[in-house]
Amino acid sequence: MLRFTARRLLFAVPTLLAVMTMVFVLVRIVPGDPAQTILGDQASAEALQIMRERLGLDRPIWEQYLEFMGGVFTGDWGQSMVTGKPVLDEILRVLPYTVELTIASLVIGSLIGIPLGAWSALHRNQWIDYLTRVGSLLGLSFPAFVSAILLLIAFSIQLRWFPVISGGGRATFSEWALSLALPAINLGLIMAAYITRVTRSSMLGSLGEDYIRTARAKGVPMRVIVWRHAMRNALIPVVTVVGLYLGILIGNSVLTEIVFNRPGLGKLIVGALGQRDYTLLQGLMVIYTFVIVVVNLMTDLTYGLIDPRVKYQ
Amino acid sequence: MTAPATPAPVLDVWNLTTSFRIEGTWYPAVRGISFALAPNETLALVGESGCGKSMTALSILGLVPTANGRVEADGIMFEGRDLARLSDEEMREVRGNGISMIFQEPMTSLNPVLTIGFQVTEALIYHQNLSRAEAEREALALLDLVKIPSAKSRFREYPHQFSGGMRQRVMIAMALACRPKVILADEPTTALDVTIQAQILALLNELKAETGMSMIFITHNLGVVAALADRVAVMYAGDIVEIASVGELFARPTHPYTEALLRSIPRSDRDTAELHTIPGAVPPIHRMPKGCRFAARCPLAQDICRAMDPPLEPLDPESPHAVRCWVRGGHDLAALTEDANV
Repeated sequence: MLRFTARRLLFAVPTLLAVMTMVFVLVRIVPGDPAQTILGDQASAEALQIMRERLGLDRPIWEQYLEFMGGVFTGDWGQSMVTGKPVLDEILRVLPYTVELTIASLVIGSLIGIPLGAWSALHRNQWIDYLTRVGSLLGLSFPAFVSAILLLIAFSIQLRWFPVISGGGRATFSEWALSLALPAINLGLIMAAYITRVTRSSMLGSLGEDYIRTARAKGVPMRVIVWRHAMRNALIPVVTVVGLYLGILIGNSVLTEIVFNRPGLGKLIVGALGQRDYTLLQGLMVIYTFVIVVVNLMTDLTYGLIDPRVKYQ
Repeated sequence: MTAPATPAPVLDVWNLTTSFRIEGTWYPAVRGISFALAPNETLALVGESGCGKSMTALSILGLVPTANGRVEADGIMFEGRDLARLSDEEMREVRGNGISMIFQEPMTSLNPVLTIGFQVTEALIYHQNLSRAEAEREALALLDLVKIPSAKSRFREYPHQFSGGMRQRVMIAMALACRPKVILADEPTTALDVTIQAQILALLNELKAETGMSMIFITHNLGVVAALADRVAVMYAGDIVEIASVGELFARPTHPYTEALLRSIPRSDRDTAELHTIPGAVPPIHRMPKGCRFAARCPLAQDICRAMDPPLEPLDPESPHAVRCWVRGGHDLAALTEDANV
């Protein structure tokens, strides 16, 4: 399994190189001039020229490319074209916020989605099942920013349980937890909707298998049949969906971050895009690619933990 | 000479009916069958696919899906209790403990993500109040009993690391774990190679003799019946159409369906290329004909067969050999036809 992990990480290198090249090209194809964005409409041609030189945009494109690629591997990701701070510092400053939000919503989503999906499958075509299915459909079709605003109105403005503008304060534990709670619930509920649906259909499949009948014929209690015999077999599709959704979540959290005024990768990338901050965009893309590769690897390793028939070679 | 006293049956099924709902209407898949199983007896249930033989076993154990299935019986008596009237929890305690079941498909009947050891241990933990270590020791002894080579080293392996025959041995070990009084074996050898089949059958016979348990053996293979059974019940379309001791049935098959079944066994000891078949098929559950259900395929069918359902009656009052047939059952056809016309 260690060798498998090492090999998978090694295979990630060409992926990373390809993505970096594409990012490098793409950000430069996008119309707009960073110098212009930084200095504004009224800037003189002279000032623009000086700015471009300072940003290194006057140099030949291949030189910029080589410098970028070399930098990524030596830890020098360049300076943000807008703030002038090192790109890596900018990213690492917000990364913990994104990671904690992602993990918290994953936990909430699984804690709600897996039992609810199993429950729904056990009561197939009864009113519990219909209610759960309608609920999860609602969760899937609800835009994250709308639910975020509703949560904010209900729990922060009406009930005053949570701060309206959390800003991601983390001085004390309670401050940290309170500022994380609503955004995590918002994304967690959407995730729960996904997980409920997959768990339900996958549990329906495994509950109908012959080995469940065998377990019942042995006199195994229902609770053990559901959680030990059926659930473990039903988990593979759930893990797949969670893995895919985690990748999406890291980018999709931007609207939640804006509504709750939280720092995060999503907000950073939208800002960088608006300001044509090439270097920051490039750095962010590298991080995204890396995260996706790691999430996929973790998904594959989890398969092996669940199903002994999965072999790594 | 007097007939030997019949010992009290271990399992006594009275008027068992299992129905399924298809588009809002209930149709019986098993139609009011009754039989008794003596201690250490092997009763074979024989018949084509869909005749209700597996459903009978599942009904006894209460494993018929409740969403669209229903089991009714005047009694399924086991150890002084009526299984048809037990609560879910009481029934759970009987399953795998007093009565256990071996299934047809060893490839899919074991859980792929749990170890063999765990799956055998489980029944012991839930029924015998053994500690984990004791249960594992017992499970290991069971795997040895069913002759799994180097059971100890294979205890923590998973089903996919076992062959079909070995998996069926594991199934048998699981079924035997709590020393049940009755084993329901639902075509346990059908999915296996012929040589493995013989080994599994020999094993079952051996274990039956050792433990004194009774067995209901479900099969469509009459060769297996001859080798294993004490008594045979032939089922057709949810009914028992003939029941007799194995010797009697092979010597004097009476129901036209039994006769046709025996004729359609492929023989390698006779120089013929001809294979007898029974024309037609079992009528679907929701389109059962009136009268005798075999009439449409029966070479002996009379008018009465198509009009009235024959009862299962002994050939003569003393005989344990019973047949459900107007023509062969020793009925006075002329009188019956007259009655039917009145």
